[in-house]
Amino acid sequence: MSSNKDTVSSLMPAGPKLRGNYQISGNSAVLETPSVLATRHATDLMIDIAGKEPQIEKGKNNEFYIPLAEEEFLKTVPALSEKGFILTSLFCVQDLEGKPGFTLFYIFRMNSSTDVFAFMRHVRKETTSIATVFPSACWYEREIRDGFGIEFTDAFDKRRLFLHEAYPEGFHPLLKSFKNRKIQTVESPEEAYPFKQLEGDGVYQIPVGPVHAGIIEPGHFRFSVIGEPIFNLEIRLFYKHRGIEKLAEGKSPSACIPIAEAISGDETVSNAVAFCTAVEKIAGIEIPERANYLRAILLELERIYSHMGDLSGMITDIGFPRMTTPFLILRENIFRQNEFLTGSRFMRGTIDIGGVKKEISGESLSKLDLYLKIFVPQFESAITAVYTSSSLIDRFSTTGVLKKKLIAPLNLTGPIARAAGATYDVRLDHPYCIYKDMPPERAIKMAGDVLSRFEVKAAEVLNSASLIKKLIASILEGAIISETTEFSISNIPDGYALSMVEAARGQNLHWVYVRSGLIDRYKVRTASFCNWQAIEHAVLGNIVPDFPLINKSFNLSYAGTDL
Amino acid sequence: MVNPLTYVFRPKVTEKFEFSDSELESLGSKLRTKVNRVFGHSLAIRELDSGSDNSTEIEVSNLGAPHYDVERFGISFVASPRHADVLLVTGAVTLNMAEAVLKTYEAMPFPKFVVAVGDDACDGGIYKGSYAVLGGVDKILPVNIKIPGNPPSPKEILRGIFALVKNKENEN
Repeated sequence: MSSNKDTVSSLMPAGPKLRGNYQISGNSAVLETPSVLATRHATDLMIDIAGKEPQIEKGKNNEFYIPLAEEEFLKTVPALSEKGFILTSLFCVQDLEGKPGFTLFYIFRMNSSTDVFAFMRHVRKETTSIATVFPSACWYEREIRDGFGIEFTDAFDKRRLFLHEAYPEGFHPLLKSFKNRKIQTVESPEEAYPFKQLEGDGVYQIPVGPVHAGIIEPGHFRFSVIGEPIFNLEIRLFYKHRGIEKLAEGKSPSACIPIAEAISGDETVSNAVAFCTAVEKIAGIEIPERANYLRAILLELERIYSHMGDLSGMITDIGFPRMTTPFLILRENIFRQNEFLTGSRFMRGTIDIGGVKKEISGESLSKLDLYLKIFVPQFESAITAVYTSSSLIDRFSTTGVLKKKLIAPLNLTGPIARAAGATYDVRLDHPYCIYKDMPPERAIKMAGDVLSRFEVKAAEVLNSASLIKKLIASILEGAIISETTEFSISNIPDGYALSMVEAARGQNLHWVYVRSGLIDRYKVRTASFCNWQAIEHAVLGNIVPDFPLINKSFNLSYAGTDL
Repeated sequence: MVNPLTYVFRPKVTEKFEFSDSELESLGSKLRTKVNRVFGHSLAIRELDSGSDNSTEIEVSNLGAPHYDVERFGISFVASPRHADVLLVTGAVTLNMAEAVLKTYEAMPFPKFVVAVGDDACDGGIYKGSYAVLGGVDKILPVNIKIPGNPPSPKEILRGIFALVKNKENEN
């Protein structure tokens, strides 16, 4: 690009600085979309740091890939932090586009912007950590160390993450040199996992898990307690590590859909839509209008049944079964609607690249509409009953408060962030599917306690129900899968793309890299991965018996984190 | 002295629930009879997730929800393996969970039974060949019954449990 900082400033002394492709002629009061603004912020930032225009590779749908030299990168990171950029994901790719070595992708976004920036940093076996600037990078860096064997020399936490004691030292499954196969495990590991040790008068530890007392996924919680209040909590997960990212390697994109669906049980549709959207972006497939509507209906049904489980779970955890049953009854009814519409209670095998696999008839949709007419008043009456119980409100309110200031640094998303005053919702801020034309209502509460999370989830169930009704009312007849003429689904061109969806738990991010028609790298980061770290903060000062309630109000996916 | 007849004729305290599935009811009453006979009136199940995607757990926990409410058939889900007759395992066994799965099984008193629920628990499912899983539950535990499905519905899980009880009755 030809323009440099001075010339642009001199051209437009009074107006805002505009750069590169985004120069708008005429007066400076022209309305700017957030996208243009954010791109300018990033461009300005780069110019301030490096003194030259960055090499921005414009991606599709507001993704920008910016390769940085090491020196530029080290200057950029603190500046990004100052400007309020949020670290959304961090992952590694080996031999990107035939270039030997490792490329680290640092994905950033800004609030009130639809743009996503991926800063690409080329590294060898060793590099430096950014966890002192962005503490949430810690888990990502440990993940990359396990997967690729890259050492972050100055990292403050160098423990293994998803490879537990059973895995031998020096084993890095995501390296291209490792072909997926059974490995020799370590029989009786010499050293136990080094948990953080807190010492002091009256401090003791309570270890819980991985096998819990209820019907729940495995994970380990290490409480440090003084009397009853929790003084520190360290969560250790990844017991369910199934090697999903490696499993996807070398498969055709179509064969990968069941893998995406199996990331987390009650995020089946969200993850399948996210995966397919990324592949569609690479291939430039426009999906038919009707398929977009159907996808949105299924996505919202998934949100409803997922939230219903949380609502009943929260009440169960304070021992109040009478209030729980209406939610369980309604939830089972939604499962049956799912089965009626798609043949699967979890709506598996429905989403496909280019649209949806199964046609859902107008008759079935009007039956769903009829059911929602019964569902809404029943749900509202169950909620009213809950709010009239003073003992329940007493347990819920001021319990497990999540502070608003944690939201941006930890990239907390979904209902848990919206219950603490955040507005972010992928459906509205990075619209996909049909959400640009049919935006859902935002449900926001400020207190950040269990009660707020309950209220946000309850409101979202009703919002989703009314959105589904609107979608059914305006759905058009037509094809449900795109008929591509230039290439077939089995012949996706090379390239990479990123997609984001708002699953019931928040922002899920999928990055897909296709090479020679096969998946070369599939990186998934679910909302749970980030949100788990919020629990460690939200429980502090609460008593141990409230932990199950707080945990349930977050309802994070273990499977979706462990992959 | 309370007249015992009042127990029969007085109205029930629970809310009326407008749902009935004749197939489920008949399966349930047959199960109730067999549980009474073979397991001395109660069958205690410990659910264990060895690496599932969580959909199977959701279906297992649905067994306790009002539509199924399996406690009335003499089946209860218990918190500790020490209280359990049956270990109901979901998911392929991951390397990270293998030790915990073994320890949970060892903590159960004899006689003990293992039920594998879902395709992944039966033979590794879509995770077959992954470095991170050992495979189905039968790779490390003796499995009595396998219930396939992705995930199996609550009714299918109940049918599997019925098959286990029936097999035990035939052996005796």
